[in-house]
Amino acid sequence: MTTQATPTIVRWRRRPVSTTFRYLVLILAASLAAGPFLWMLLSSLKSAGEIAAFPPTFFPREWHFENYSEVFLRAPFGQYYLNSLIVTVAATAGQVFTSLLAGYAFARLDFPGKNVVFGVLLAALLVPFELVFSPLVDILAGLGWINTYQGLIVPNIPSILGVFLFRQFFTNMSTEIEEAAALDGAGVWRRFWSIVAPMAMPMIGAFTILSFVYNWNNYFFQLVVVTKSELFTVQLGLALFRTVDSASSFNILMAASTLAVVPVAIVYLLLQKQILNAVSGQLR
Amino acid sequence: MTLPAKHPAPSRALTSRQRQGLFGYPFIAPTAILLSVFYLLPLLQTAFYSFTDWNPSSFSPTRPVGFDNYLGLFADGTFVKALLATGALVIGVVPLSLGLGMLLAALMRTPLRGRSALRALIFLPFIAPTVGSALIFTYLLTPFGGLANAPLQALGLPPIPFLSTAPWSLISVIVFTVWTQVGYTMIIYSSAMAVIPESYYEAARIDGAGTWRQFRSITIPLIRPTTAFLAVTGTLGALQAFTQIHVLTRGGPMGSSATLLYWIYQQGFMKFNGGAATAGAIVLLLIGIVIAAVQLKVFGRREGVEIQ
Repeated sequence: MTTQATPTIVRWRRRPVSTTFRYLVLILAASLAAGPFLWMLLSSLKSAGEIAAFPPTFFPREWHFENYSEVFLRAPFGQYYLNSLIVTVAATAGQVFTSLLAGYAFARLDFPGKNVVFGVLLAALLVPFELVFSPLVDILAGLGWINTYQGLIVPNIPSILGVFLFRQFFTNMSTEIEEAAALDGAGVWRRFWSIVAPMAMPMIGAFTILSFVYNWNNYFFQLVVVTKSELFTVQLGLALFRTVDSASSFNILMAASTLAVVPVAIVYLLLQKQILNAVSGQLR
Repeated sequence: MTLPAKHPAPSRALTSRQRQGLFGYPFIAPTAILLSVFYLLPLLQTAFYSFTDWNPSSFSPTRPVGFDNYLGLFADGTFVKALLATGALVIGVVPLSLGLGMLLAALMRTPLRGRSALRALIFLPFIAPTVGSALIFTYLLTPFGGLANAPLQALGLPPIPFLSTAPWSLISVIVFTVWTQVGYTMIIYSSAMAVIPESYYEAARIDGAGTWRQFRSITIPLIRPTTAFLAVTGTLGALQAFTQIHVLTRGGPMGSSATLLYWIYQQGFMKFNGGAATAGAIVLLLIGIVIAAVQLKVFGRREGVEIQ
């Protein structure tokens, strides 16, 4: 589909994109992306009056750090943190463990039915479990798992994405050391734990980060499995904040949001490079 | 997807290999068992219940009703409305997030001072908890005190209640979703563009091709598999949009921002109408499969798609 461009347009098009233009667009994009988080932080420290003031102020006129203690007074955020931490750590550990094993098997072991099972996994990628939540909740109710930690954790453990990432990692990993160990008589199980798993540490690290962030941010699943406030996670408690406190006091709401965003922000700040690598590693 | 290459091996080694291969079963067992119980079983039940009058909250026996649930979807206008909202969300979100991500990745393709910092900032919304960032948007979009309404207020115009009037509520959900996704598409496009040999661009420049021409004739065709991948995952992601709708608009006003998944949630979880919820879920599943197949066919036409 080549169209004959007029000379003026050609001249305009041939000019390389200037560095100034690139900076302009990229800085605009970065401000639009990160600006709301800065606004959240600044707003969380303003007074109730200032938060709705016109014209809006950028920096708080007075710094109201007590907004944060107010959050903890209005809702048991400490409990929410603890629940989120328990659920996130357990589900992440489960995802890493099961994906590591299955990814290895799909990459390195030949067993009857392997391709069928793998095909089912591929197809399952098309079915988000959000679609099947009503029978799922029914199954969990049958197990007595509604409003329990195991109900929040166990169904989240199988990770198709994790299986794919580990399978890809092991497919690309050299087999030499493992083969040498096999010649020395080490069985599959022994080879896996003493050689393969340690060699997979970079992938284990990357997937742990992805999994941790995913589980921390998870919301829909927790919403349908938990109704008791004792088991509320940070996300559930935060969403409830909006229903209870609606239009009132956006400063308190922003303080609560900050509390929910901060753990992820810290992880991201520390492990930014690994996270970006892990995310882009999904596609090759 | 390429399957791992099978090493040609002498027949005696093959038997040992086959014997060792049996270890595959315990290795995949945890994933396979958990997926069967919490994923495949509910999926089969969803298909089954969609032909019954199942009500998860009642103890009355479940009876078969044939295609009544499917025909019933069109009885009131809410399902069709949800279909339209879903279509609008996909059409609004996918091209915008892919286009903007591609643009940003292209601007970052060659080295630039501060590039990694800019990239990290642009990616931030993708990784932040959706509930938290959606709450920021409820504040930004609120009629009084919200930053989005400040320009209107400055001009003396009445504020727009973005989250509680149609069509603004759905537009807000679209804008929010694009905002969360652009960082992701940018990262994926960046890694696709990073492997394009610089010599292609040099050759094009020698031939007198300008920036736009290089972008159109080199970058776009070579990142086509990535575009296919992102179009499929972006569409499936938009079909699954839930959290932002739940926090921003609750599907309102009058169901104007309730997508199909949100409608299913309301039927299943709030109205306890299991038959309608499961029938809707099967329809959404079929829509997802058809769209994914069509997109893979359209975008993967020449290069073929690798989801690796």
